[in-house]
Amino acid sequence: MKKNKLTGAEIIWECLIREGVDVVFGYPGGAILPTYDALSKYKDNIHHVLTRHEQGATHMADGYARTSGKVGVAMATSGPGAANMVTGLATAMMDSVPIICITGQVPRPAIGSDAFQEMDISGAVIPVTKHSYLVMDIKNLAQTIKEAFAIARSGRPGPVLIDIPKDVQSEEYDFIYPKEPVKLPGKNPLDREIDKKSLGDAADLIATAKRPVILAGHGILLSGASKEVIELSEKGDIPLSWTLLGSGAVPASHDLNMGMMGMHGEFAANNAIQKADLLIACGMRFDDRVTGNTKTYSLDSKKIHIEIDPSEINKNVPVDVALVGDLKLVLKKLIPILKDQQNTDWINEIEKWKKESQSRDIINADTQMLYGAQVISDIWKETNGDAIVVSDVGQHQMLEAQYYKHDEPNTLLTSGGLGTMGFSLPAAIGASFYNRNKDIWVIVGDGSIQMTITELATAVQENANIKIAIINNGYLGMVRQWQQLFYDSRYNETPISSPDYVKLSEAYGLKGIRVISRPEIPVAIEVAQNINGPVLVEFVVEQHDMVYPMVPAGADLDAMISRPVHEQFKDAEM
Amino acid sequence: MKQTLILFMQDEPGVLNRISSLVRRRNFNIESIVAGRTEINGITRMTLVVNEPNEAKRVNIYNNLKRLVDVFDVVDATKENCHVREHVLMKISLKPDEIHEIEKLVLGGNCKILDQDPKCMILEISGDESTVEENINILSKFEVLELLRSGKMAMISGDQERNKPFLTRSEP
Repeated sequence: MKKNKLTGAEIIWECLIREGVDVVFGYPGGAILPTYDALSKYKDNIHHVLTRHEQGATHMADGYARTSGKVGVAMATSGPGAANMVTGLATAMMDSVPIICITGQVPRPAIGSDAFQEMDISGAVIPVTKHSYLVMDIKNLAQTIKEAFAIARSGRPGPVLIDIPKDVQSEEYDFIYPKEPVKLPGKNPLDREIDKKSLGDAADLIATAKRPVILAGHGILLSGASKEVIELSEKGDIPLSWTLLGSGAVPASHDLNMGMMGMHGEFAANNAIQKADLLIACGMRFDDRVTGNTKTYSLDSKKIHIEIDPSEINKNVPVDVALVGDLKLVLKKLIPILKDQQNTDWINEIEKWKKESQSRDIINADTQMLYGAQVISDIWKETNGDAIVVSDVGQHQMLEAQYYKHDEPNTLLTSGGLGTMGFSLPAAIGASFYNRNKDIWVIVGDGSIQMTITELATAVQENANIKIAIINNGYLGMVRQWQQLFYDSRYNETPISSPDYVKLSEAYGLKGIRVISRPEIPVAIEVAQNINGPVLVEFVVEQHDMVYPMVPAGADLDAMISRPVHEQFKDAEM
Repeated sequence: MKQTLILFMQDEPGVLNRISSLVRRRNFNIESIVAGRTEINGITRMTLVVNEPNEAKRVNIYNNLKRLVDVFDVVDATKENCHVREHVLMKISLKPDEIHEIEKLVLGGNCKILDQDPKCMILEISGDESTVEENINILSKFEVLELLRSGKMAMISGDQERNKPFLTRSEP
């Protein structure tokens, strides 16, 4: 039999193609050069996107993965290239996003010698990856790549890094892609029947609950369980509230959907959670941003936690019934044993709270100033609510969650757990390689955009069809908000200048538009949408606007700060 | 409360790094870590003694260790009938009037003289927690030049099914 000898570099590309990869985001350099050299052989199968920074590559892979459900791949050289990936890996780890980072390493004989651009990246990323590899023997290369993909995808997804020394990339070896399924040490915690007793206990709790609430998390999207969660909600007449990453898991327009929970969540939702007698947590992890003070969190409720990762059970909030498994599979077993229920009194009570909070951010239509909330609400209207939105981190992120009503799963991409400023622009570029026919809107602040603004060049080079809405208030707005509320308005280092974004766009080679009043918004959006390629729209908004309601960090979840009455404009139409 | 965990993991470079990174990251309060080879080629066994009063956090430690890709299994030996042993080397300075007393202790069977010269002596102590602590305590009244503790190793008595680790592989 003729042996199929390939270089390590060729093996890398062959493996990626077999894993279904058709786009890789990366940046070449010395230690990964053999792999980039071999790329010429695979250009028909794989499109490589040259980023302007390795952090950008990781966020692009992340954005691609979040929107496609596939594994995103990023590539970089050793040392500084690899180090620049750490933020992107941590972002993906916190939000359970499957990405693979492939890094070049100095040649094996040089490892440990402090060689030029040497860094122990597989060691450095241990805390921020599901797993990491250093491939010291070409014999293990194909198996390692296959394993890495299996780890990234399976169970609770997450990032994996594979570090490959330069001489392993150049060495030749017989390429056989392993056929056998990947097997990892130990027993798969999900490889068992869903516990019947716990299912029965959960059904009993649901049957006797009078004030139940479903907490809808990111796990619904990862499991593809939107349909089942809606069924659970409707069958049991159970109102639901979502975490930031659970946005879109259940249509915002659904009658039982109370909106977002947590620090900047809806008053009605937080109140309902605090007054509930049963919480059904679906693929969420009781993060501090959604619980507030855990010592006073929903004290009167029993809690059912449906979660794929056993280590999340009882981590932040003790629960009464734990159902460990894939959410969709668990709900498919649970729903048939539930009875139809009516919780009319409870739902009427919640309706009253909803009315109380409706006036909250409808403000100040008298002045000619523009408000972030108006911009986002108008983008929602003008895009018919079916754009993919990639938000960054800060006030605009919370306003997006409040005012862009997502009805479809996987249409909001945002860095929730790590809160990585600079995420949105590169993540949107990544997402554009999967959703070529959908509108993609970046919603980003003037602080966040300047963290990864270099990727505008990537967007132009790739003609990525993304629309970038910069909500420019001249401040690091969320930090300023905290300074105003908790640090006596001492605005240390939060006023931030910006370049002239219209001129900057021109310099980068894309269309730039500036909007300073509300009537201009629809026009600008229309212009942007009619251009096939990247467009930047700067919205100059009121500088001292705040995001309300707000639960101060560590406070009780229902101790919300509402917008001061003098700032409310009750009749304005959003 | 002390929690004794026995870990079985792949004998791979970096695996200790992963465990210690997890311990650091999750802010677990570790009393001792001991690792070594086992009867099975390619499997390293570790005894991890954790000092964590919070029951929920103890379960969390167990679950987080199991989540590591390189870990085959974790057996919680805390409530099992279990032998936990530690090994200690102690170098003490010798004064002529103390030699007799030290030799008496050694003859008592709790420690062994490994090395002796006119000025000092290396003693070896081995045993369960109370034996080790007691002996260190007694010997501390002499001038201690060096003290070295191995950390604790645990083995569960009997051959019960529930304490058998899962040492094969499965699909993720």
